[in-house]
Amino acid sequence: MRTTRRQFLQLTAGATAAAAVGLDIAPAFAQSTPVKLGVLAAKAGVLAPVGESGLRGVQWAAERINAAGGILGRKIELVVEEESSPKDTVERFRKLALQDKVDAVTGAISTGVGLALGPVAEEMKTIWLAWDATTQKGVEETIPKPKYSFRSTDNECEAVMASLLTARHWKGKFKTVAGINPDYSYGRDNWAAFLAIMKKYGIELQVVSELWPKLGATDFTAHVAALAQAKPDLIFSCHWAGDTPIFMKQAHGAGLTKSTKFVLTTGGGVHESLKKEFTPEGAILGYNTFYFEYAKASALGKEFVRWHQEKFKEWPNYESDHGYFTLVAYKAAVERAAKAAGGKWPTQDAVIQALEGVEAESLSGARRYREDHIMEATFFQGTTTHKNKHDFVTLDPVETMTTKQIQKPSGVGLYDWINGWKV
Amino acid sequence: MIARAAGIAAVIALLSAPLVATPYQLTLLLPAFAYGIALLGLNLLFGTTGLLSFGHALFVALGAYTAAWLTTRAGVLSLEVIVLAAAGVAAAVAVPVGLLCVRYVKIYFGMLTLAFGMLFYSFLYKFYALTGGDEGIRVLRPTVLGLPFAGLDKVEFLTGPFYYYVLALLAVAALVMRRIVRSPFGLSLRAIRENADKAAFVGVRVRRYRFYAFVIAAVFGGVGGALLAVPTGLADPLLAYWTHSGNLVFMLLLGGFHHFLGPIVGAIVFIFLQDTVMSLTSYWRFVFGGLLAVVVIFFPGGLLGLLPSERTA
Amino acid sequence: MLFLVAAGLQLVFGVQKILNLACGSFYALGAYAGVSAVTWALGHGLPAPLFVLPLLAGGLALAALGPPLERLLSRIYDRDESFQLLLTFALVLMLEDVIRFVWGSAPVQLRGAYLAYGQVTLAGSTIPVYNLVVMAAGALIALGMGLLLTRTRFGRIVRATAENREMAAALGVDMRRVYRRVFTLGVALGTVGGALVIPATAAVNEMAIEVIVEAFAVVVIGGLGSMRGAAVGALIVGVLKAGAIATWPEVEMLAIYVVVIGVLVLRPAGLFAGATT
Repeated sequence: MRTTRRQFLQLTAGATAAAAVGLDIAPAFAQSTPVKLGVLAAKAGVLAPVGESGLRGVQWAAERINAAGGILGRKIELVVEEESSPKDTVERFRKLALQDKVDAVTGAISTGVGLALGPVAEEMKTIWLAWDATTQKGVEETIPKPKYSFRSTDNECEAVMASLLTARHWKGKFKTVAGINPDYSYGRDNWAAFLAIMKKYGIELQVVSELWPKLGATDFTAHVAALAQAKPDLIFSCHWAGDTPIFMKQAHGAGLTKSTKFVLTTGGGVHESLKKEFTPEGAILGYNTFYFEYAKASALGKEFVRWHQEKFKEWPNYESDHGYFTLVAYKAAVERAAKAAGGKWPTQDAVIQALEGVEAESLSGARRYREDHIMEATFFQGTTTHKNKHDFVTLDPVETMTTKQIQKPSGVGLYDWINGWKV
Repeated sequence: MIARAAGIAAVIALLSAPLVATPYQLTLLLPAFAYGIALLGLNLLFGTTGLLSFGHALFVALGAYTAAWLTTRAGVLSLEVIVLAAAGVAAAVAVPVGLLCVRYVKIYFGMLTLAFGMLFYSFLYKFYALTGGDEGIRVLRPTVLGLPFAGLDKVEFLTGPFYYYVLALLAVAALVMRRIVRSPFGLSLRAIRENADKAAFVGVRVRRYRFYAFVIAAVFGGVGGALLAVPTGLADPLLAYWTHSGNLVFMLLLGGFHHFLGPIVGAIVFIFLQDTVMSLTSYWRFVFGGLLAVVVIFFPGGLLGLLPSERTA
Repeated sequence: MLFLVAAGLQLVFGVQKILNLACGSFYALGAYAGVSAVTWALGHGLPAPLFVLPLLAGGLALAALGPPLERLLSRIYDRDESFQLLLTFALVLMLEDVIRFVWGSAPVQLRGAYLAYGQVTLAGSTIPVYNLVVMAAGALIALGMGLLLTRTRFGRIVRATAENREMAAALGVDMRRVYRRVFTLGVALGTVGGALVIPATAAVNEMAIEVIVEAFAVVVIGGLGSMRGAAVGALIVGVLKAGAIATWPEVEMLAIYVVVIGVLVLRPAGLFAGATT
């Protein structure tokens, strides 16, 4: 806990500051007071659909946990705030920590917000379980050894898996490649990872076009025209937002979907909008960490899909699972720590220790947090098919890979890790 | 008289806030103060000179990125150096931009400033090697008066030494701005606002004075931006987006641009209002839009305009 | 399609001297309404190729927002221009949440309409016929606007008012009516523009804020207040964007602003100077 604290102000000021940092003091002893958990969910802008997804996953988890008696008998109370710009989200986080005095915060998807929140979580000494918001920079540079921040899976996992699938299925079947990726860190990192892996597998390719539309663009006519001119054999794209179906629609309109191979690493996030009329069969499509029609899904996963479809008339995507997992992981960690503490509600430090290495059942199978606070999960990708009862494409066959195969281990740089593979 | 008493009460309240307010409220006051400084500058342009800039966020962002660059890339942690550098960078950029913008008035000025703000936003977003792109650059905790206050954690630092430092800077900024507004230069600016042709007739160098006002406003904006970035810990491109400029103008209008202290009142009220409304509803943009509409139509003088006193801006 | 939004902006500015930041919001509203209208119509058995009709109807219907909004704006006609600008900014904020409330935050797209007319191959590239339809529609509307402004009495009144407000009032023109009609026409241009575009793309929450910047660029390049300027400006912006994407994709984002600033510096009134059409 606090050791020495030099008082700059008078003692009363010191007392106020002490009360504010009282998160370190063991939480309420009464078992009946609720556990407050803060949620940072994006509500507007390009992140809104996934933010909403994540929130639904968290809410479903909270409902079920409370229905089963809560965490060690204490019900979960969610305090929901909005994730918007980094500056505003930092302020919301501070409010959750200082004013609402939540035990932990779950949420955040944007990489910029993630970069800002990491240090703030450490400063406020509040546990933060991110849904997404992971980049190379975030993991390596800002907080090399975070105590309070628990990150999601690396952003490049999608590209790594898609690249491996490309190498496996299409090696030797394409020469020219075009990349069209959103113009920001996520887009750049994924494209770079793809190129590096193609090189590692000795796949000779020629990049005939590299396009960088703005994230969330709504008009790809010029891009599609440029692609049509370049005539690539394969198009790689890590688009994940509402711009994905627009791109596919316009690409199809220009005839690109007839003969070009498509690799869409994260398009599954907006899977329902990838309608059959413009999305071809045979494309490699990634669903990140959750696939709603996985035949081998657990009963839990199937129940969630059923509930989601009935309630929202939509099929869920991966962000719900990220949200869900953060809550059940927290519960599992608290229970694990409590057992070691003889049944009493554990201290925050104990919870953090228990979170490291904790395993919990998410909607898509078992997941855990590594000791370096990065999530381990299963990724779902596959080849698109029109043979289903929906109006959008699904996967057949579905392939899974775990983060043990596609996420770099702790302490290693992404490209060093790729270079060290034995192919 | 009432105004003066209220003013003194406010000052006392702000000075003693760290003793009575919650840490969260204190951390809210910090961006309010920083915005106050930035808005004092904006009001020199708008309230005094009659030029509405829709790109003031450009300078706020510049200040923030200066602070980020210095602390993260150059290893400079002294808050004094950071503030001076932010002022310098803002002035440097304001010179070419200002020279261009003050040639035009009214709508053209607004549009041109909006364009420059968005240009900077695109620049921040694209040149990621320099600016960190969409993720931005971190702003590390600076030293105040050379002291690192290492024993205090970030919250204590923010609600303690940093709070008083920013409050002091705000007071200094207000005093400086008061001098400027009351000086012959300030009077000339007001004359320009009232009737530029007439002012030119009387010998006022209209364009040149507008330019000076622009640069001064930019300096205040830059300083405000640097101070704004410290609590957040990050400088990101959204700080330069045109809606951020819009919010700045909103704050100014809310406080009352006829009044010298309008900017500061506006900043504080806006920040606290935004905090409350954001927690109440996810449709806070609607509420704020409605509020702005009401202010524009019914209370153009802002909050301080409700007081029975003459213009002091 | 940028032309339509820009045209709406120009018209309102030329006559009423109001720069309407919310024109992007009307564009967005038209887009969303268009989707709702077509989806409803197709669901009720309208044959697919006729989808353009409910699409346009949806867009036009929203022009009904024109009169009440104009009345709101009219309260501050005599104030400084800055206030008008701010009031339209307030509208932007409010309309953004209205859209979110009514249609949600997920992108909304129109099914089945885009390729209803098939595709055609021109000069080696395949284009959906609908794209040509949109271009034709845009040209038609531009022509229509031109005719309206030059040949009809209403058009003459509008141009007179744009040139000299006081004189027109002195000559007995009913200012309130003119303003209301002009504003509504401006809104309609925006909403119809949004509706027409939507089959090719999808409606997203932030489209209003983002289209505004491009519309501004068009208006600045073409010259404030000039219809022809709006057309030329839109063309230039479109070509610029395509050119950047084809040759140096990295500068796509920046190119527009640099040109805007360049034009403002060299030819401040735009390429087609003058406040009339």
